[in-house]
Amino acid sequence: MLRPAGLWRLCRRPRAARVPVENLGRREVTSGVSPRGSTSPRTLNIFDRDLKRKQKNWAARQPEPTKFDYLKEEVGSRIADRVYDIPRNFPLALDLGCGRGYIAQYLNKKNSSETEIPTVSVLADEEFLPFKENTFDLVVSSLSLHWVNDLPRALEQIHYILKPDGVFIGAMFGGDTLYELRCSLQLAETEREGGFSPHISPFTAVNDLGHLLGRAGFNTLTVDTDEIQVNYPGMFELMEDLQGMGESNCAWNRKALLHRDTMLAAAAVYREMYRNEDGSVPATYQIYYMIGWKYHESQARPAERGSATVSFGELGKINNLMPPGKKSQ
Amino acid sequence: ASAQERLWSFPILRSRCAAAYGRCVQASTAPGGRLSKDFCAREFEALRSCFAAAAKKTLEGGC
Repeated sequence: MLRPAGLWRLCRRPRAARVPVENLGRREVTSGVSPRGSTSPRTLNIFDRDLKRKQKNWAARQPEPTKFDYLKEEVGSRIADRVYDIPRNFPLALDLGCGRGYIAQYLNKKNSSETEIPTVSVLADEEFLPFKENTFDLVVSSLSLHWVNDLPRALEQIHYILKPDGVFIGAMFGGDTLYELRCSLQLAETEREGGFSPHISPFTAVNDLGHLLGRAGFNTLTVDTDEIQVNYPGMFELMEDLQGMGESNCAWNRKALLHRDTMLAAAAVYREMYRNEDGSVPATYQIYYMIGWKYHESQARPAERGSATVSFGELGKINNLMPPGKKSQ
Repeated sequence: ASAQERLWSFPILRSRCAAAYGRCVQASTAPGGRLSKDFCAREFEALRSCFAAAAKKTLEGGC
């Protein structure tokens, strides 16, 4: 059995004054983890997390909120694939930034839209995890870390709450995500208004992701990238869907108002530059999948320097070097 | 669909007016081009008129 026997689902909520800190055990977590590196406070406050919570709540209250779940369902199933790839049991797992939950249902023994794994949902903040050290065998996170302000700290906290030999499997949006929308808005705003402001979030570059995971203490990292293209009737339908997913812009530097002229211009540019044969327009979602492990003595380590018994120069004679019985390889 | 939704509907954006504006902006992104304010003002005005005409028809045609 490869699925988690127990699952915590951590949903989004900024620190609320009403909830006593002791109940969440937050003191234990925050005193154990000190942020390494010296990033200035300014760079760590890109997103208005309060607004993001309101946007997500608004999206959840719409009629038929699940019709916007297609992207998260797809990425959730791909994360579940990666969980299956690891031949281990995970008694206790955490789904960080779970939303309505898009991963656990794919870890069932049979196909179903509900998970059969016993689940507890906790409302908390990805940047302030209310768990003790060495709690979870598995932490998964699908498409929610891109709204976190202090990503290094969030990754450090994930590492902290993992047990030794625990694994973190995450998916985040990459830099090419929605490049068509970004470019169209940029060009239209420049032509109509003489300048432009950012409307798409900044995304973490794939190199930086590796560094961040390493700095957070993870070993044996893998990062791979995937692109999902979704076709829409037009730019407005795309923006409607993004809003329905709870993915509207909440960066502090966002412009409060997008002029109707600029929107019309951007939609025309989008169509002219990117449309498909059938008249629909594509939107690209680039996903980075990352896997990182918490150290344990049983894990493979690089060999000691000087312990080699053969040299690369003898690679041509490899058939002679291999023990008999393995030559069929 | 509400009047608002019908206004923003994509048939207008598939029109020749929209394509002309889009082509003008795209042309400015070629090497050596430089996009500045109102670079495609003429095409945008044409698009705006198309849009206003279509909107008038939609509002009159609807209930």
